[in-house]
Amino acid sequence: MSEKEYTWREVLREATPLCLSYVPIGLACGVLLHASGLSTLIIALLSCIVYSGGAQFLIASMLTIHTPIGPFFLMLFFLELRYALLGSSLSHYLRKETHPFILRFAFSLNDENYAVNYLKFATDKYWKPKNALLVEHYALISWASSNVIGSLIGSSLKINLVVVDFALTALFLYMVTMQSKKRIIIATAVLSGLLSIMFCCLFKSTLGIILATIMASTMGFLVDHYLRKNRPNSPLLYKVHGPELHHRKTTENDINS
Amino acid sequence: MNSILLVVVAGLAAFIPRYFPTVFFSKRKLPEWFDEWMSFVPVSLFTALIAKSIFVTSTYGFIATNVAAIIAAILVIVISYYTHSMAISVVSGLVLMWILKLFL
Repeated sequence: MSEKEYTWREVLREATPLCLSYVPIGLACGVLLHASGLSTLIIALLSCIVYSGGAQFLIASMLTIHTPIGPFFLMLFFLELRYALLGSSLSHYLRKETHPFILRFAFSLNDENYAVNYLKFATDKYWKPKNALLVEHYALISWASSNVIGSLIGSSLKINLVVVDFALTALFLYMVTMQSKKRIIIATAVLSGLLSIMFCCLFKSTLGIILATIMASTMGFLVDHYLRKNRPNSPLLYKVHGPELHHRKTTENDINS
Repeated sequence: MNSILLVVVAGLAAFIPRYFPTVFFSKRKLPEWFDEWMSFVPVSLFTALIAKSIFVTSTYGFIATNVAAIIAAILVIVISYYTHSMAISVVSGLVLMWILKLFL
């Protein structure tokens, strides 16, 4: 039996939902980056190099409050640290690839194209690393163009900054909600929120956020580790049910959610 | 901050965590503790940022009366929970915030 080879059109079909979902967020991000004082050219460059909604929203919000370069780098670094996990979890599919290929792949990796590619690698044995790289690049085109169009809209429009700034909060609320699969994760999140408020007011600096992140995540990890080893029946380890479990029977659609 | 410097710094912060673990673990196995610890990092950072944006002012004072943001945040959680859609969650968050700001 001959191997199935994906054509660029078939890969594009896989990437289309992702590309479309980038449009509204990319527009909002472009508007916000423009409002924070960046030129359209720099926004285009930033979208191609950073290529991450969360990071770009954060850049916009840090620019408006004139964050110094040290905390600016650290905040972004910690925000992007989650890619260490995503990258390593895909890495065993890239075992046969060359070094330059892995470099290009890692460069354009982000949350959403990871989700698409992880699912394809796990369910489709004909899915090749080069197809995965193509998905990353299709989504990148959609993301960067939406950002550029957003920045152009932003220059011809008077924007309420308080409202657009909430895009970042909404994006993170979405990500936290999606990741809250266990009680221990929710407990860690609450702890991190409280520590963040406390440290930010105490140290009068965004470093409070980083301190809160390190303390809460380490605490969550240690407690989770201890409980699973010594008290596996602890209520903290219970899973949190998704909405589909209450309202309808599991269908094929749930696999995508 | 200079724009080019900004792109370089942001690019480095984006590139380092994406590249090195990917290339490192394409030859080795992922240690379990690292995997477990990393699974708590994003959620901690996101809530730290959310809490700061709602309850801390730009001059680093505590504020509990940011009612529009609190209501919008609760509604965004409910919307994310039921739709599982990033685009719907972000856009409806913006619309909600815009409407609430008109009244509050």
